[in-house]
Amino acid sequence: MTASEVVEVDGHIIDSLILAKVLDVILDAGGDYRILEVDIGRTSVDPSRARLEVTALDEDALAALLAELQIHGANRVDQADAAVEPAEVDGVLPAGFYATTNLPTQVRRGGHWVDVDNPEMDCALVILPDGRVRTAPMHRVRAGDPVVVGRTGVRVQALERPRGATPFEFMNSEVSSEKPKEQLVARVADRIKAAKATGGKVLAVCGPAVVHTGAAPDVAALVRAGIIDVLFAGNGFATHDIESNVLGTSLGVPLGDGLPPEGGHSNHLRVINEVRRRGSIAAAVRDGYIAGGVMYECVQHGVPFVLGGSVRDDGPLPDVFTDVVEAADAMRAQLPGVAVALMLASTLHAIATGNVLPAGVETYCVDINQAVVTKLADRGSHQALGIVTDVGLFLSTLAAHLL
Amino acid sequence: MCPPEHFGVLYEINPWMHREVTVDLDRAREQWGDLVATLVEAGAEVELLEPQPGLPDLVFTANAGTVNRGRYVPSRFRHPYRQPEVAFDVAWFDGHGYDVVELPEGVGHEGAGDALPFGHAFLSGYKSRSDAAAHGPLSTLLGAPVRPIELVDDRLYHLDLTFCPLDDRRAMVAPHAWDRYGCKVVEALVPEPLVLSDDEMLAFCANSVVVGSTVVMASCPPPVGRQLEAWGFDVAVVGVDEFQKAGGGCRCLTLALDVATPAGAGPRPSTETAAAR
Repeated sequence: MTASEVVEVDGHIIDSLILAKVLDVILDAGGDYRILEVDIGRTSVDPSRARLEVTALDEDALAALLAELQIHGANRVDQADAAVEPAEVDGVLPAGFYATTNLPTQVRRGGHWVDVDNPEMDCALVILPDGRVRTAPMHRVRAGDPVVVGRTGVRVQALERPRGATPFEFMNSEVSSEKPKEQLVARVADRIKAAKATGGKVLAVCGPAVVHTGAAPDVAALVRAGIIDVLFAGNGFATHDIESNVLGTSLGVPLGDGLPPEGGHSNHLRVINEVRRRGSIAAAVRDGYIAGGVMYECVQHGVPFVLGGSVRDDGPLPDVFTDVVEAADAMRAQLPGVAVALMLASTLHAIATGNVLPAGVETYCVDINQAVVTKLADRGSHQALGIVTDVGLFLSTLAAHLL
Repeated sequence: MCPPEHFGVLYEINPWMHREVTVDLDRAREQWGDLVATLVEAGAEVELLEPQPGLPDLVFTANAGTVNRGRYVPSRFRHPYRQPEVAFDVAWFDGHGYDVVELPEGVGHEGAGDALPFGHAFLSGYKSRSDAAAHGPLSTLLGAPVRPIELVDDRLYHLDLTFCPLDDRRAMVAPHAWDRYGCKVVEALVPEPLVLSDDEMLAFCANSVVVGSTVVMASCPPPVGRQLEAWGFDVAVVGVDEFQKAGGGCRCLTLALDVATPAGAGPRPSTETAAAR
């Protein structure tokens, strides 16, 4: 892991070639620099000032380089430790709290940079008693928790784009319906294989359209094959998945011949009712009411799922979290180890998941609607790669590559 | 200037100093007296700083601080041996109506020994004794641009052993004592340099005092003398070898009080040089 520090050099650094010399010294030592700021004096009397981020191979090389730079007047910018204030009340942060991004973050404590355990956007940074630093959503903070305030002593690292033949490079992150889908899906499949090979987990976030487009059997097969390790969805997806397996319809429409039967519109309500009668999806699987589908495979193969509720939900299914704060916490609990996230035709759950994912998780957002992909990126999940296509088509091709 | 009553080599803080070498104090007094007489004859007025026991290097008043337009910036010495000198220097300048302004804590600079005016700017040596980081604050305090130059030869530990301004176009320069960036800076600043060889440089040629058109030097090798005379300077040689035992020459024994760089922004060096990497 490379090490970096910010140095500042000021005075007549242009006319005296000190800046040129400092930059040369950095490169000659095998280091690298990024000019963060240069303020060049207007006349020869006005001093100039430059702020550089100096990177070296490791901490030792950096220390030697910084010592060399100091001789030429380039001094490490006094990086103070992060300021910390205790939360006064449960669930309330000190005013001026540092609001996180989803990027890898470090906090300076006792003169050292400490990695934040679990990067997540829109959280606070809490110092644990053992010195580690964690992100914590507002509601999780307890009175007395030491919370980082201000920006001093906090830094984030921009993610390097993965190099090599990755879809990231291939797509250059542009969302477009004009890309060749077959190649793209093949590359996503390769990334999933690569992640699985190194022990990474795959998270699938499913919207109801997965069922409507007839792709649920592909998802079920991916669960059964151990490729999908975690499932996030809402009441709708789980309900339609169960409905299609129990009654052969999705929102009352038969997935086979497509002609809606009389009273089909209430099918999903009857299914929810029966699952509620049994107490849980797992109980309904055990007593044979649910005999197939994504939820069935999740129960049978011990794949954890989190169903987040919404105001529009019918029922809902007994497994659905009706408290959104609890739902988000349940999602967070499943994130460790996740390396790839597939957002499958889901707008709201995709954004909710994007909110809790670290930026380092490879995220593929598949939707027929380009706006969904854009929306995800606009909400801060810049790492998401958009694939504008029919989710049914995507999943059947993906399953063909992986199974 | 400061009479050499308590001069001696009592410690070693540069490669010239060897404690086993004895200073002939009578001879030192005589040489110092000759220097004063020569300077006065050339038209200088000499002010005296009272010598202090236990401060042998107080005699090298060039290191008392940096003066510009009635303003005095006291030195911050790197070596603890010389740090007690500052109180006496400050007292003198305070008592003589100078505006005394101090460098920030933690940045070292050894006065006119390391900061010499040329044109509208100061050149300032760094590494052996003064810190590169001092040039920013020094520039603010002196009201003139200060261009730091890295000194790369331990024997030439102060800028005044390597650079001697003669007038507004000419200077004696010893590029071997500077790194390549420093050489470019001087090249851009001094239109007509008199380049000193290694031997001339080590004979303290650059450590000369210029009073009007008289150059007072510890020694004058013929090539240097010929060039100086061709430019219309008179050369006066004053032996100061007792002081060279401590690494100091004529200029080290003096501090110019009448330094006044032109106010306002001077020209920038040519872009070619400034952009040179």
